Amino acid sequence: MADDKDVLRDVWFGRIPTCFTLNQDEVTEREAEPYYLLLPRVSYLTLVTDKVKKHFLKVMKADDVEEMWFEYEGTPLKWHYPIGVLFDFHASNTVLPWSITVHFKNFPDRDLLHCPSSSVVEAHFMSCIKEADALKHKGQVINDMQKKDHKQLWMGLQNDKFDQFWAMNRKLMECSTEEGGFRYIPFRIYQTMIERPFIQKLFRPVSPEGTVHSLGDLLKEVYPAALPSDGKQKHFQVVIHGIEPLLETPLQWLSEHLSHPDNFLHICITPVPSD
Amino acid sequence: QSMTLSITPAQTAAWRKQIFEQLSERTKREMDNFRHYEQAVEQSVWVKKGTM
Repeated sequence: MADDKDVLRDVWFGRIPTCFTLNQDEVTEREAEPYYLLLPRVSYLTLVTDKVKKHFLKVMKADDVEEMWFEYEGTPLKWHYPIGVLFDFHASNTVLPWSITVHFKNFPDRDLLHCPSSSVVEAHFMSCIKEADALKHKGQVINDMQKKDHKQLWMGLQNDKFDQFWAMNRKLMECSTEEGGFRYIPFRIYQTMIERPFIQKLFRPVSPEGTVHSLGDLLKEVYPAALPSDGKQKHFQVVIHGIEPLLETPLQWLSEHLSHPDNFLHICITPVPSD
Repeated sequence: QSMTLSITPAQTAAWRKQIFEQLSERTKREMDNFRHYEQAVEQSVWVKKGTM
């Protein structure tokens, strides 16, 4: 049987085949061909689309170029969520490749954060890791690391270097056997039913009585509407990295193996497709 | 009702096995027909050599 460590590689090397098309309203000097790329699920749109930008800038007038942003079926895509989360949440049941529209004007300030350089992505990424470690270890592990160690985490993600990243990230995933897990599980639940962008609460991997909490226990506590009622048809899919783990999967194991590089377990709740 | 520490090895295997299987299906679904696409992030040297 495959090793649990294989899961870490599968998660890291997940790719979304994507077709980028220039928005029809952009002014071009000649026709813009679509651009096809394999996007890493665990990275960020603005970090991995230099080639896309270069490709479309070739056909555009310099005067018409503002900050690049992306849209899928009318929805601006938030670059500060991991690519895999954007795909699972907005497009998981569509035919591949994922079709993304590229814009160079009318930046939707109300929906998206500006991202003028990769250092903005780095600041966001490191801030998530610090927040996650505050939940897991009261921030003790990340604070004990040196600046070069923080840089190693970031460079590992930026350059798609699994070994470089995990050499450092394993320290963030450690927990004492006596405690049976992290202090709290860093998770975010994305869903369409309520206004908030995501649900994030304090939730422990083990109950005070020593019972191991599962994915189902978490949902029951923070978002029971996602769970199927007894004997009734399932209305929602609970998706992590494009798969639907069983609800009895222990939350601590999920946090250690299916968290994104930002150390959060990102869970998407999407309606079951009707056909 | 919460899962308890007394879960049987068979039950443990079920959730773990299901994750392995689904990740493998995900690779087939999302990557097998698209391996000719360009990678967004350049890979290590040996992969580049492999595509020459």
